[in-house]
Amino acid sequence: MKITSPPNLRYPITISDLARKPGDKVKRSDTLFTYDYETYVEEGNKMGEYVKVLKTFPVRFESFLDGIVEKWFIKIGTVIERPGVALLEIEEPCTHETQFGGLCVNCGEDMTEIDYLTKEANSERATVNMTHDNVALLISKKEAIRAEEDSKQRLLNARKLSLIVDLDQTVIHTTCERTIAEWKEDPNNPNYEAVKDVQGFQLADDNVAHVAANWYYVKMRPGLADFFENMSKLYEMHIYTMATRAYAQEVARIIDPQRKYFGDRILSRDENYTDKLKSLHRLFPNNTDLAVIIDDRADIWGYCENLVRVPVFNFFPGAGDINASFLPKQQELVTQTPKVKTVEANAKTGSGTGSEDTPAVSIAGKPADTTSTETTNGAVNLEQQLLSMGAGDSQEALEEHLKEQEKVIITQQTERPLLQQQLVLDKEDEEAEVADASQTIEDGSTQPIEHHKHRHSLLHDDDRGLEVVAANLRLIHNTFYDEYLKKRAVPHSGRVAELKGQKSPKKPLLETVAPDVAEIMPRLKRQTLNGCVIVFSGIIPLGMDVEHSDFALWVKSFGAEISTSVNRQTTHVIANPDRKTTKVKRAARYPNIQIVNAEWMFQCCTRWEHVDETPYLIELDDADRIGSPVEGLDDDSLDASEEEGGGGGVGDEPSVQLAMSDNEWSSMRDELQDFLNESSDTDGASASDSESVRSTGSTQSESKRSKKRKRRNKTESNDGSEAEDSDASVSSASRLEKKKRRTMERVTSLTNVTNADKSSGLPSPETTGPEEDQVDDEGKVFDPQGGGADLDESDYDDSLEAMMAAEFEKTASDEE
Amino acid sequence: MFFIKELEKTIQLHPSYFGPLIRSHIHRELLLKEEGSSTGKFTIVCILDSFEISDGQVIAGSGAAEYTVHYKAIVWRPYKGEVMDGIVTSVIRAGFFVECGSLQAFVGRAMIPTDIKFDANATPAQWTDNGDQIIEKGTHIRIKIKGLRSEVDKMFAIGTMKEDYLGPLQQ
Repeated sequence: MKITSPPNLRYPITISDLARKPGDKVKRSDTLFTYDYETYVEEGNKMGEYVKVLKTFPVRFESFLDGIVEKWFIKIGTVIERPGVALLEIEEPCTHETQFGGLCVNCGEDMTEIDYLTKEANSERATVNMTHDNVALLISKKEAIRAEEDSKQRLLNARKLSLIVDLDQTVIHTTCERTIAEWKEDPNNPNYEAVKDVQGFQLADDNVAHVAANWYYVKMRPGLADFFENMSKLYEMHIYTMATRAYAQEVARIIDPQRKYFGDRILSRDENYTDKLKSLHRLFPNNTDLAVIIDDRADIWGYCENLVRVPVFNFFPGAGDINASFLPKQQELVTQTPKVKTVEANAKTGSGTGSEDTPAVSIAGKPADTTSTETTNGAVNLEQQLLSMGAGDSQEALEEHLKEQEKVIITQQTERPLLQQQLVLDKEDEEAEVADASQTIEDGSTQPIEHHKHRHSLLHDDDRGLEVVAANLRLIHNTFYDEYLKKRAVPHSGRVAELKGQKSPKKPLLETVAPDVAEIMPRLKRQTLNGCVIVFSGIIPLGMDVEHSDFALWVKSFGAEISTSVNRQTTHVIANPDRKTTKVKRAARYPNIQIVNAEWMFQCCTRWEHVDETPYLIELDDADRIGSPVEGLDDDSLDASEEEGGGGGVGDEPSVQLAMSDNEWSSMRDELQDFLNESSDTDGASASDSESVRSTGSTQSESKRSKKRKRRNKTESNDGSEAEDSDASVSSASRLEKKKRRTMERVTSLTNVTNADKSSGLPSPETTGPEEDQVDDEGKVFDPQGGGADLDESDYDDSLEAMMAAEFEKTASDEE
Repeated sequence: MFFIKELEKTIQLHPSYFGPLIRSHIHRELLLKEEGSSTGKFTIVCILDSFEISDGQVIAGSGAAEYTVHYKAIVWRPYKGEVMDGIVTSVIRAGFFVECGSLQAFVGRAMIPTDIKFDANATPAQWTDNGDQIIEKGTHIRIKIKGLRSEVDKMFAIGTMKEDYLGPLQQ
């Protein structure tokens, strides 16, 4: 260790003697050298006067280290003017790089001793903790880098990465309700299938609520064993949980009985120093290049780039995360759970548990016990979190948290919410049964009666989140090692060049060769929603900073942009389906904006792919689609349609800008007008003049567009959109709407008829029914451009135009 | 090393315990609170039966009674240079942790004979010489204390295996 001149000397000093030669041993408090310094001293003489005299004092400089003198940087007579000048080098026998409980691991000396010679406590030399299960073992920065370099090399050779696994609600779900044990014992219980693999355990030192040893029931996420088995080939896995050590170990025993996946790599709250945040640097102090995290929450990781966010695993409804009371509250999700739908579907079909009906990834909202008030988890609030962390260290805050956790557990033990919910469900079943029975009597049909015995289960064993996560993890692993091998190939060629006698590039260090996960993952993720501009509506609580809300940050990490208002750049509006906000209404007037529910966002962000919006579209009345006829509000939509251009011909008054001549347009419009008037007449409905007048080109084409869109949706996905369509038609408010719809049907059927005309020669419009499926086919068949069934966004406008033109021709010929 | 040591303890008893069985209450309280506890210097292993209870004194304001108990106990105090047996609790790259009763010890890499190497790829991770010496979680091991430090209620020790007759015990 190099010793420099300390700051507390009387400078300048002059070296007067060197007490040791290089190679000599020194002990602590041995003299290294002596020096002189000068200072003024007041001296009294015999006359009683005080005079300031310049005096020189000799001082011994003592060593504060043990070791061997390596080298002197000073010689006798050197004058040192200021602190920080190198004096000598002492070779230490032990540099105390690893310390355990204040003891040096290598020499066994106490590191905490401080005396008059201590410049810097020895315990300061080792401050990094990268051990999973111990807080007493600390190592120095240098040692940490060495250790990490070692393990990095080992992982690269084994073609693995590190995977940090969260426990609660990511791979397992735990509840304390003893109802589960009862259900598990009873094969007749509807929940028996779901809970039969639930395992329970008790914690020895557990004294929560002074109830004798509390039972914890752990449900593993479906497919967990396979997930671990597959991932352990690609990743070295660590557990990182906010639960206590005892709990984490018990859970690890359940999910990894042979301890072959995790070994001792378990990090719990007890070793995390703070109970508010998780940090990769706790395990990988310098180098997080190879680390991937799976967790159901991003906020406690500070929205780390290495995080793969996993859909929440919520098996016991309402149980939440029993270990989350220490964490900042999670924002509540304002969306209906898909499970409710499943139950309804079951009631309709009367078949088994019907797990196939549920979406692949069920993302249930956070349980109701987590409130959403003032709980923004954004990056902005990181500061607040840090501040509260300081406060959180106080005993009171800790006790408060413990009490909170206790309360949650007591509630689960005493009130047994799951049992209550099941009872409610059973009651509903009974009612449904009665209704069913009466129905069967009326119908006289031969419906199977066996399903009447079936009771609907509260718990559903249908989570598929892990499959999606596994796919993502595989993708990361493959991308990482593809790049690694590619990069490593470069120095080889350099070596070849070197052998050939050419100038070789400098061999890159390992650091530069291995890619960084934190750099690969965002790149993979950004592709997902690249180019999307998303507006939230009715999702994020009022008064919250939208830009930094949990969802916004999540979506942003997938490449989407967040906007606070609907405008022509907007591509998606994520809305609450239960509420028609002004933003939704506004967005409805832009045909290019997809109005979807939050589920779509979750699907995209968990699967890492741009999921088709169709199943998640929020149904809107056609009235909303058209927008208010009041002129002033339509300015924006005019702009939007102008921008689309491309000869779409769907604007309000687009004749000026479009390529088609004014004449063509006006004639077309006239024809359309005529046709509409005529058809409504033939329908026999009293078409009021005012209405038909109001149906200008804009509204017409607008409605057509929405119509077409619906059709397009159908071609892409056939499930349930029939119902959607009929719903929409039923709910269409105005009579004008209805009429228009019928007109549309007729138009298309007419085209169909003429198509058939050539073969059968029977022009009868009544032959074709108004079924939408047929309409669909016709649309495909009758695309005169030969575009076929392809009604993609790109040639959407073209085909519309073509269809319109064709329709006009036919109707014209019909009339003649 | 084990010692017999005379100790003193003040016990407070709630008024509900006052009665003919008061001595057994005090005895129970003493065993419950003291046995297995560590003072930072030594650990109380076992309290011997013969003990003296002073006259009780009621504390003003609370109603509880205070007794001073003099007792003898077998205590264990580790010393630097002492050889002791323990159980391995955790194995890491930097060494391994050993639990010797109430004492937590760590044996660092430099304190392990050079022929015993760390194997991170084994599950669970272990230190081994690829022969009969395997150190993993649960292994019984004999170590020598090289350094010792005590805090208020716990002790830390640094152990070594680099001497004759030290290392994993044959089971």
